Amino acid sequence: MNELDSLRQEAETLKNAIRDARKAACDTSLVQATASLEPIGRVQMRTRRTLRGHLAKIYAMHWGSDSRNLVSASQDGKLIVWDSHTTNKVHAIPLRSSWVMTCAYAPSGSYVACGGLDNICSIYSLKTREGNVRVSRELPGHTGYLSCCRFLDDNQIVTSSGDMSCALWDIETGQQVTSFLGHTGDVMSLSLSPDMRTFVSGACDASAKLWDIREGLCKQTFPGHESDINAVTFFPNGYAFATGSDDATCRLFDIRADQELAMYSHDNIICGITSVAFSKSGRLLLAGYDDFNCNVWDSMKTERAGILAGHDNRVSCLGVTENGMAVGTGSWDSFLRIWN
Amino acid sequence: MEPDHRDHRCHRPSAFDKMEGLVREMQDTEHGGVPVRSQKLFLTSIPAAFMGYDLIEWLMERLGIEESEALNLANQLCQYGYFFPVSDSKNLVVKDDSSLYRFQSPYYWPWQNRPPDNVEYAIYLAKRTLRNKQRHGLEDYELEALSNLRKNLANKWDFITMQAEEQVKLSKVLKKGDKIISDSQERAYWRVHRPPPGMVTSLEQCPVPTRSWNGSRTRKRTIEDCRRDVELLKNSLSRTRVKVSQALEGMVQHVETYAEYDPLITPTQPSNPWVSEDTTYWQLNSALVEIPTEKRVRRWALSMEELVSDPTGLQEFTNYLRKEYSHENIRFWMAVNDLRRSAQSQIQRKVNEIFEEFLAPGAPCEINIDGKTMEKVHQEMKAPSRFTFDAAQEHVYTLLLKKDCYPRFIRSEYYKNLLATGIQPSQKKRFFGFGQTKKKTSTSSAPNQQLLQQQPSQGATVTCGALSKRRGSDRSLSGSAHELAVSGVKDSKVPHSHSQSNLSDIPYRVKKPSIAIVAGASTSEEVCPWESGNEPRSRKNSAQLDSGSSSSDISVAVAEVSERVQRVCTLTQQHTVDGSRKLSTSTMDPPRRASVSVPITHSTTTGDSSKRKVSSFEDNSSAATSTSSSVFVIPSDTDNKAEECTSTSKTVVKNHGLAKACSVTGANAPIISVSSVADDLPVDSKVEEEAEATCSQQEPLAPLAEPDSESPASELPPSEPITEVEVDTEAKSNDVCPWEDDNPVQAKTCSITASAQRTLNPP
Repeated sequence: MNELDSLRQEAETLKNAIRDARKAACDTSLVQATASLEPIGRVQMRTRRTLRGHLAKIYAMHWGSDSRNLVSASQDGKLIVWDSHTTNKVHAIPLRSSWVMTCAYAPSGSYVACGGLDNICSIYSLKTREGNVRVSRELPGHTGYLSCCRFLDDNQIVTSSGDMSCALWDIETGQQVTSFLGHTGDVMSLSLSPDMRTFVSGACDASAKLWDIREGLCKQTFPGHESDINAVTFFPNGYAFATGSDDATCRLFDIRADQELAMYSHDNIICGITSVAFSKSGRLLLAGYDDFNCNVWDSMKTERAGILAGHDNRVSCLGVTENGMAVGTGSWDSFLRIWN
Repeated sequence: MEPDHRDHRCHRPSAFDKMEGLVREMQDTEHGGVPVRSQKLFLTSIPAAFMGYDLIEWLMERLGIEESEALNLANQLCQYGYFFPVSDSKNLVVKDDSSLYRFQSPYYWPWQNRPPDNVEYAIYLAKRTLRNKQRHGLEDYELEALSNLRKNLANKWDFITMQAEEQVKLSKVLKKGDKIISDSQERAYWRVHRPPPGMVTSLEQCPVPTRSWNGSRTRKRTIEDCRRDVELLKNSLSRTRVKVSQALEGMVQHVETYAEYDPLITPTQPSNPWVSEDTTYWQLNSALVEIPTEKRVRRWALSMEELVSDPTGLQEFTNYLRKEYSHENIRFWMAVNDLRRSAQSQIQRKVNEIFEEFLAPGAPCEINIDGKTMEKVHQEMKAPSRFTFDAAQEHVYTLLLKKDCYPRFIRSEYYKNLLATGIQPSQKKRFFGFGQTKKKTSTSSAPNQQLLQQQPSQGATVTCGALSKRRGSDRSLSGSAHELAVSGVKDSKVPHSHSQSNLSDIPYRVKKPSIAIVAGASTSEEVCPWESGNEPRSRKNSAQLDSGSSSSDISVAVAEVSERVQRVCTLTQQHTVDGSRKLSTSTMDPPRRASVSVPITHSTTTGDSSKRKVSSFEDNSSAATSTSSSVFVIPSDTDNKAEECTSTSKTVVKNHGLAKACSVTGANAPIISVSSVADDLPVDSKVEEEAEATCSQQEPLAPLAEPDSESPASELPPSEPITEVEVDTEAKSNDVCPWEDDNPVQAKTCSITASAQRTLNPP
């Protein structure tokens, strides 16, 4: 037996041991623990705004920290920064590559980032001295498409990529500071923890991983899904996160308990999930589906609490504002909708 | 590695397994699938078809869903090509009527094979050109596609035509019915995979060529990879896992605490800008504001993280610490945060600056960290990075700020003042249209639900009304995040069932609490400079209580009064975390009028759940105390006597009458508005805490409560019978006085808040 095989075998035994340890910690179920919780009732949200202006499928959107502006990326090769309340376009930024798959708004509101099949994360400065928007930095280095990016601050950004890695970049120098290796499939999504010290990633290897940004190490791995994880989002308290997958389920994982706590699925939901987000309190889990709808889950009762229907094509992205006031959805029908 | 059956075709989302499962069930006619048969349409017979409403019905029954959802689902499956409309080759739409549909052959299902290539498409198109023009003629877009393909695939064109001819020949052998079916299926297949221009196709994937699944596409895993995996797994095995029950408890607690602050669950005040177009909300809640809203201030008490993540909160916290001459810690914390977010080029400089300012021996703002941490810092200083001071920051944050400064801040007068002066958007709104007359309780602008809920609950707990009637207030209690927060701070377990009995568990209940609300005379260090003399604000905070129901029942009246008192207190909002608190509110015009200073002592004793809560109040207002101020004391004691209580209540009632608080519905209870501030309020029971803490500042002129006309619904039914109430008899007479005196005045003043509150009370 060569070393590779023995390592594999060891990994297998360890995996089994971990499974047992998780089972040992699992002393109750979500349903039991939340039995005393008041039901939330039906959540009804309406479209309050429709943002029209993109000419092709929208692939990504991200709210600014002011909870009012948002940036969206479309395959018409434009990045648009919207004032979602007035529906005005604050900036319309033509991109060098129209194959864009993700975008992000910096917490300071001074930068936006985007990337896609060009494998490059491009940073655009919104507040230049001249008043125009321009590329302030391009971060090449990934060998696969860019699937998600999130600013830590104006100087650092975390990206995930189809090359199965995530990376932390120093924007000023354009250097990749840390590379996060470990996934065995394309990494599709990432979510920063509220304290910005860790992040979770979801990948096509059907697992989610928790990473320490400073150390660059994988702290925990969460198996459970049967198919690609398309989206991840942190629970507001930072101790749990939810995932959305092509297996038509969303799941809730707890970091301290190191395991899956709940699954959100239904017989009649038979399509993949593209995006997930929690409401401000974490009680509601919103998820965008391939069937053109968004479902609102009562995260504590694992019941469906509502549905956002209105898009005419797949909902590709979704976000809740930082203050929790509104939900934004973007769709392949080229429109963004604001709900609450 | 085990052979991956997905390798030979492209990776497909497993949601398609679910779809296929459902479609197979539909086709299983023997076990209650969708009825498929030859359908007659005029004179022609259409083989193997089913009707739209049969399908919808089947879906509704099978999945237990509503029609709209079933329709959506059916359309979805149709878009993916699991079945298709027989007579419409263009639009893949399912209608809930007698239109006909046919199942696609599994061979043509999506993801059964890799997506078709252009050669296959060319063969298909070429085949159709070889057949009956009328039935198989090409659409315009198909003709165009064909000519393009002929150009692009010119070198293969012979092969393509040969294949096409072959297939035509084969199809001739088929029976007519079968031919119709297979033709239509093939056509539907291409409709899905090569849609007419402008049509949506669900099968379209992300532009990403292929996603790699489980490393199927990938570089080989090296020994290093495996070693790393094993290492990770080992670490993972050795980590300590919290019990799931514990994790869930934390989560449930979080959800409950924050429900109040979740706009998707609890409507926002004053209004949701998306709905009302009114951007006041954003103005009130922008990152840095001069006067934060009360709700926002309340949220700071939830956790240190809440406080420091809010720029205004951080600013107030810093101001407070500056006053205490202990703000070096928070400054250090902020400096390190800034360092972490700095550009690489500035790291070195900033590291040195921070070190010089906070850590070097004899530094101007030296922070106090232990030797071990200091050692770590010195080590890190050798190679400065943005993380150099992380250890020290952590130390400062958890040991100094979080365990010491933060609780002090939340207990402080400074915080209480912030809370008391916090803007209450809903009330502000009311302020305008509100005269002193009885206001209708119309709630056109959504009332602050939270408040509403909270109030009654407090009333219920605090007051022990004699009536057996109870409001179902448990729910509202649970809604009170404040309580949770408070208990959280105290490290006490938060009760999850919010029955009243739980309140007894609440720590730091003082047996004999007294809230002294001192009239304007209270001078005070604690008064915020900016607060004093701020007329409008105080007005906002002034509370008005609504009157309860008919007062024939004395105990009711008592209950009402006490409740009112509570409410007043609440309105003014002092939520403090700690038992002893001092409130100071300043009145603008202390000398002018008699203001009522009300030392209120409430104690709610809930011994056991079996034991009722008693809240009694004792009115101790002695007009004599000071000309300008009168004191109103409501102590609650377990050992009080009911009779006394009655007498008091009587007087109270009388007063009300005097106050002319009669409304149509019944006698109104007096509102106690205290114009002044309490200097020293030791607060007792936690329940009350929320309520109590405050003094309502009102215009000095109207120290007393105003009656309001309220709908009967708003009356607060006392939750529990009063077991015993002790009243200060001596005080009695006195109590009356102030109210009476002030009656005319009272009538004049209207307190905005109260009205808001009132509306809140659920019938």
